[in-house]
Amino acid sequence: MTSGPWKFLASLKLGLGLLILIIILSIIGTLIPQGQAPEFYRQHLRDFSGLILALDFDHLYRSPLFLSLIFLLLLNLLFCSWLRLPAKFRRLRIRDESLLASGQPPAERRDRARLERWLSEDLLQLAAAFKKKGYRVRTTGNEDKKIFLARKSRPGLFGPELVHLGLMIIIAGGLISALFSQRISVALTEGQTEKIPGQTFSLRLDRFTTEYYPDGSVKDWKSLVSVLENGQVKLQKTIEVNHPLKYRRLGFFQMSYGQDWDRTELGLEISLPGVGTRIVNLKAGETREAGDNLMVKAPGFIPDFAVDEAGRAFSRSPEPANPAAMVEIMAGGNQVFVGWVFSRHPEISRYQRSTLPGMKVNLKSFSAPPFSVLEAAYDPGASLVWSGSLLLVLGLLISFYLPYREVRICQRTGQPPLYLVYTRKNPAAFRREVDQLLGLTGQKGSKDKTDE
Amino acid sequence: MNEFSLLLLAFIIYLLTMLTGFLFFFRTGNRMRRISYYLGLAGFVLHSLSLVRRTVESGQAPFTTMYESVSFLAWSCVLAVIIFDRKFRLEKTAPYLWLVVLALMALASSPALPKTYNPLVPALQSYWLWLHVSVTLLGEAFLAVAFVASLLYLLTPDKSHRPANEARREKLDLLAYRAVAVGFPLFTLGALVFGMIWASRAWGRYWGWDPKEVWSLITWLFYALYLHTRLVHGWKGRKSALIAVLGFLAALFTFFGVNYFLSGLHSYV
Repeated sequence: MTSGPWKFLASLKLGLGLLILIIILSIIGTLIPQGQAPEFYRQHLRDFSGLILALDFDHLYRSPLFLSLIFLLLLNLLFCSWLRLPAKFRRLRIRDESLLASGQPPAERRDRARLERWLSEDLLQLAAAFKKKGYRVRTTGNEDKKIFLARKSRPGLFGPELVHLGLMIIIAGGLISALFSQRISVALTEGQTEKIPGQTFSLRLDRFTTEYYPDGSVKDWKSLVSVLENGQVKLQKTIEVNHPLKYRRLGFFQMSYGQDWDRTELGLEISLPGVGTRIVNLKAGETREAGDNLMVKAPGFIPDFAVDEAGRAFSRSPEPANPAAMVEIMAGGNQVFVGWVFSRHPEISRYQRSTLPGMKVNLKSFSAPPFSVLEAAYDPGASLVWSGSLLLVLGLLISFYLPYREVRICQRTGQPPLYLVYTRKNPAAFRREVDQLLGLTGQKGSKDKTDE
Repeated sequence: MNEFSLLLLAFIIYLLTMLTGFLFFFRTGNRMRRISYYLGLAGFVLHSLSLVRRTVESGQAPFTTMYESVSFLAWSCVLAVIIFDRKFRLEKTAPYLWLVVLALMALASSPALPKTYNPLVPALQSYWLWLHVSVTLLGEAFLAVAFVASLLYLLTPDKSHRPANEARREKLDLLAYRAVAVGFPLFTLGALVFGMIWASRAWGRYWGWDPKEVWSLITWLFYALYLHTRLVHGWKGRKSALIAVLGFLAALFTFFGVNYFLSGLHSYV
């Protein structure tokens, strides 16, 4: 496991390189519009379109290049922890023999004498001083060796590994989500029941309401739905944005809403000079008798009327910004009126033709049944992501606020005492602190080789 | 007093805090430093009152528009500065931090940011708005402290090798690390973890590679780089400071840039 390629996979160098590459690619991904058709890139990013499409940068975060970097990062995290964990466990269960094999004697003779005194005469006092500061202390003393070992915040030793474990679980969860998550969009009008594909239950929309703020902007959408299984209502719940319905392994989310304009109810006001004014109510697509031998037909309705270059009418948006109805009126078998009538602009007669002078048709009212768009989402990776996140945050807190600390003073009889101070966070300051506590003059610390 | 008068008063007091802080450079003794500290505290109280007033009047979290968010970020920075001043004695770094606070306050009160209340769109009506935004901005405030310390580090001349300069640079380096040590976990929790939880509740997916999401990940990766090069590779000083500066620029872009230059699901303000 410690040969060349494995060592490289576990190395910090690889990790840092990957972080930098992932940063660069992520930035590129926010600069190139994602998920467009190839035509879009050829038109707008002419010089780069070949490169973008060849590297799959039109969906960069799912491109083989990006995914292999993430996979390498996963391996890097895995091998890094794998290689470092044994040493950490060894440190946790360190034996007297190893303690006596590391560390250095202090350079100053005065410090050596001080340490020897701590070990021989003042050992209890030393242990008490460290215990008071929250250390766990282990002492051994017999004829051929004397050992003092004080350690604090032992979980802190594993903080980085916990962070890395959390990250690995998050990446694994993300991978599972990418491969196995499913999303199905379900559009329902009030009263409509729809079977959920791949499931044994159906969903019925009982009531759909849109609430508005006084200024007219949308405050909330509420879909009261029933879950039906074998014709029986199992559950009834109001789904709102931020308040999904969970049933079986699916979540149902309020995603959008709309109006079914093909089923618009129209109120038409028809006035004929000399005859009078009448209101005719009919559905788009219907024909209706309106008295006086008149037949009214409404072949079409457009919520946001506009005309394209070829002169065809179309809807600019699904919002009722410029509602218009196509109306045809027959009198005794002859067409007397045909054309578009506008709710907001009753004066526009450009798109109308009438054979009866003075005839006016107004679109007085329109209403379409609203529908609610719910999204059913199944994501088997999510729970892994949550557990990974918990470990990640826990690991960060432990790493930063419970840093592992260790102080060793050991002596084999007849040899100079060995002294070693170990911590990863700000070792110089810790060394100064311990030197002061032990009453040493202080000097450059010796490197701890236990981990390597 | 209404919200804006309180904010103006806080601004004036922050200005005085900074000025007394700079005066401390030329005086011996601790008097100026103490005056500056208590002034800062007074400004913080007024600023808090302004935020509370707005929250009570609008009935929603005080960070739903750009004006509110910038004001809240300034408030978080003040909190970070006060905490760090108490714990680590910022001394000559403090007035530069107040300069950043003042810049944010000026931006918040500029006419470019409308002061009206916006009724919350359905996606924002959640208690996760409180958790996600407040913890993220608090984290970013500490990262701002690291940014200022790193910038000062890079600007402190090292050619002279004066011992006073050396000591100051060492202090700045350590200050930057300590600020990242607070800011990074907060940012991880607030921006990424709480963000993912909220996204999964509102949209049914915890991650969608939305530009705001990607940029907060980029910010996070920069600080991961900072910590690894520092704690494992033993980088200190110049190189560390440079990464901390880049990381905060990424955080700034996540906060402001994404809203104005890139479009996505987070374009609320």
